[in-house]
Amino acid sequence: MKKKPKKKDLEDKHHILTELLKKHGAQIYDDLDKGNFPKFSIPSRSVSNIVYDKKIRQYILGANTAVRSSRNTSQLRSFTQLMWLAFFANRLTRQKKSSTLRDVYYSSQAFEVDFEDQGESDNIIVDLEAVLSSPRESFHVFPEERSSVFGDLTIEYTVPGYQGKKTNLSDHPDGYAIGPSLTSAELIETSAEVVIAIEKGGLFTRFVEEQVDKKFKAIIVDTGGQAPRSTRSLLKRLHDELNLPVVILTDGDVYGEHIAMVIKSGSANAAHLRELTVPDAKWVGVWATDIEKYKLPTIPMTESDIKRCHDLLKDPRYQEGIWKKELEVFLKIKRKAELEAFSKYGLTNITDKYLPQKLEIAKSL
Amino acid sequence: MSSKETFTQISPSEFFYRNRDLAGFSNPTRSLYTAVREFIENSLDACDQKGILPDVHMSIKAVDAEKPDPKQYILSVRDNGPGIESKQVPLAFGTVLYGSKFGLKQARGMFGLGATMAILYGQITTNKPLIVKSSTDGKIQDEYEMLLDIQKNKPVILKHETKEVSKGGLSLSIRLEGDYAKAGTKIRDYVYQTSLITPYATITFDDPKGDKYRYTKVVRTMPPSPTIIRPHPHGIDVETIRRMLLDTNYQIPAVDDNMISKVRKELGLANKNLSHSEIMDKTQKKWKALTRPVRTVMALMSFLKMDFEKLSKTTIEEIDIGNKKLTYWDFGESQSVSVDMDPESFYYKQLANTVQGETLTSFLTKRFQRVGPTTALKFAEYAKFKPEHRIGTMTNQELVKLTDALQSFDDFMAPDPSCLAPLGESPLEKGMERFFEPDFLAVVQRGASAYSGFPFIIEMGIAYGGKISSRGINVYRFANRIPLLYDEGSDVVLKVVNDTDWSRYKVKGEPPLVIVSHICSTRVPYKTVGKENVADRPEIERELKLALLSLSRKLSSFMSKRGQAEAAIKRKNLYSKYIPLIAQFCTELAGKKKEPNYKKMITEEPIVEEKT
Repeated sequence: MKKKPKKKDLEDKHHILTELLKKHGAQIYDDLDKGNFPKFSIPSRSVSNIVYDKKIRQYILGANTAVRSSRNTSQLRSFTQLMWLAFFANRLTRQKKSSTLRDVYYSSQAFEVDFEDQGESDNIIVDLEAVLSSPRESFHVFPEERSSVFGDLTIEYTVPGYQGKKTNLSDHPDGYAIGPSLTSAELIETSAEVVIAIEKGGLFTRFVEEQVDKKFKAIIVDTGGQAPRSTRSLLKRLHDELNLPVVILTDGDVYGEHIAMVIKSGSANAAHLRELTVPDAKWVGVWATDIEKYKLPTIPMTESDIKRCHDLLKDPRYQEGIWKKELEVFLKIKRKAELEAFSKYGLTNITDKYLPQKLEIAKSL
Repeated sequence: MSSKETFTQISPSEFFYRNRDLAGFSNPTRSLYTAVREFIENSLDACDQKGILPDVHMSIKAVDAEKPDPKQYILSVRDNGPGIESKQVPLAFGTVLYGSKFGLKQARGMFGLGATMAILYGQITTNKPLIVKSSTDGKIQDEYEMLLDIQKNKPVILKHETKEVSKGGLSLSIRLEGDYAKAGTKIRDYVYQTSLITPYATITFDDPKGDKYRYTKVVRTMPPSPTIIRPHPHGIDVETIRRMLLDTNYQIPAVDDNMISKVRKELGLANKNLSHSEIMDKTQKKWKALTRPVRTVMALMSFLKMDFEKLSKTTIEEIDIGNKKLTYWDFGESQSVSVDMDPESFYYKQLANTVQGETLTSFLTKRFQRVGPTTALKFAEYAKFKPEHRIGTMTNQELVKLTDALQSFDDFMAPDPSCLAPLGESPLEKGMERFFEPDFLAVVQRGASAYSGFPFIIEMGIAYGGKISSRGINVYRFANRIPLLYDEGSDVVLKVVNDTDWSRYKVKGEPPLVIVSHICSTRVPYKTVGKENVADRPEIERELKLALLSLSRKLSSFMSKRGQAEAAIKRKNLYSKYIPLIAQFCTELAGKKKEPNYKKMITEEPIVEEKT
């Protein structure tokens, strides 16, 4: 079954962003022209202003905002830096160039905006995300870490030099790196019926070898541990634009459970962004209850695992369903198991036995 | 089981020779430094006492410049002070414990021992004589070359000559083993800081390397000199009380030939031989003019009924006031004789008075500072003694009880500060101005206060900016005009400075800040024998805090004025730097060609505004 996504989505987004930048620029231009000191209003990212929104099932920023004024000499420098970044983001977007956090830091040195270190420029990038309510990928600042995707999905590039060129993501058995060109590509068509996000590269390769994509009509995504934003953004688009359900497989421990939760509902760090969550994504394993059920070899939980369990139990997102139940079982058995543990029963045990059962269960979650 | 230890008495010179470490002569480095201090302080004290603006010139020269340290140096100090009478010179510098500073008042040194110790040290390390040149009148100068006979504690004069000169003063020159390579910094610091706290003196120093240090006087007025005063009751201990009781006024004088001739002289009898009754007649007529010892002798004679001839052949054995018996030994008869004393007799009262000492109240009012009859009576009640209790009849236990009460009684007046000699605000200010050339300077002299019966006064100065380097807070500590150079870690002044939250006074980071603290007291409570750090007595700490507080507030208002001006400039600089950048960025963002007109924002004087 092939699906046609709505076109023009990405272009619209770009247009909205550049218009927003232009609007801010014009406002500040007017202020200066009238001899007024311009200021920015930035949603406050302090802990007290991060709240959980039950309706959209993610952390969001509250109503508090901080004003950054160019009149205040202790804010003037960071005000200028924010202006520079907006200016730089505008150029990146218009010229369709990509860059990284580190690039941004070095690019700034052509202008006398005085970032003391990369940490400072990283912070300003988050400020701009908050002002624009858009992730940095939208203004072409991409993470360094790459995760991968594989499966029958045809995309059409929009990056300069490749515009109009199409690729099918099942053409290369190592999968395709989820980088700027893939992230900004149009999603054209797919025969897949499900997206499987898996925590580990080794298992990703196994899944490709075992033709999980064909057997289960799946697009396989390697999150490489905690999923980078571009990966989360791709998962969201696969779900929203292609109406594909997303299931997540992680190690059977508290950190694995939280990797799944971040894909589903974001992190407190990114409470200022709403484009990164897949609220309908389903964590299908490895559950604490699976450890007993599948007689998996285990290792004991560490002190910090246990502490993390207790911390998460206080989080509003872990108050119901499997999220709560599995944490409690982890605490009870005080043991954990990795995805590779299934290899005890043969290398293909996980794809032959475990995965089909879990995909079945997912439908009822 | 008999022990056969021999106890031999040693002379004070011998004692100090054996214990020279105590006096600061433990090694060549320390000894050279101590000798410098003792000589300079001696000169300054001598000038202070006579109200002469001091000119002190010191030089240290290596005997053989090529040799490595430690080696022999010649230390010479010359002053324009009063000098020392020719015949006193050998005693003053050739014996230990011959000093003129036993009274209770503020002075740099305590007994004038130190200079002699330096001389002694020089002699035992180099075996070279001391050269003293002294002129009291600025015309004739006595020049002595002498050594010390350590065992006999006596000077040995090698050479004495006189010559005509044009200037008065004293010059001392000794040869001693020293280590200038190591002691140099300390000595230069000492000279520098001494000049700072003695702005009315000119001090020069020619060091062995040929460097010349010159500190000329910046003020021409001397601080008023202190007066010698009686002790305060709070500062007394049992031993001091005992010594006060042993005062000659209340001793039964030995009736020897000297005494008899003194009696004859006071009675105006010369060599005339009068009978006993004639003598007593004369005594009654002259009574009021007689000195106390003579009165006592006459009272004895009234009961002995002897003439001078007979009296010279007796010695008094016991005066038993209770049983009214007087016992004497008669050399002629070789036997003890007792005579009765008539308790109604006028002379009996005189004797009783002498033997038993003064009454408590008269002892208090006459022998202590600031104790009047009313306070004395109140004290007697507090201490549970009768006001007329004779001080000479007190047992040891009673003396201890008396001492404790003296120390704890709260209603004595505060100690008399007239024995103190603070430098004064103006000289301190001028001294600091010259030394630091600061942007800001404030000084304060606190009122007199006291700890344990010892009066003290705190003087403090604070200087900021100007030629002071930004190496953090630098504290110069002085006690009785002596710099305290080392061991500052545990000093009460440092404690007070470090306890201060300087950010409250708008002083941040490593400020170019100097604090000069001067404690004047008849007894500075040093923590250690090294006399380099002052103990944290609460009374002293409190005064230091108050002094520092008043100065810090002044500094704070200076800093905020300066801060406002600096901030305005800083703001203008920041606007000039960043506003054009913002203009550039927003022009491109807004898609405009021409930059906004922001020029007036960075050229206009910026408005002073608090942080929002």
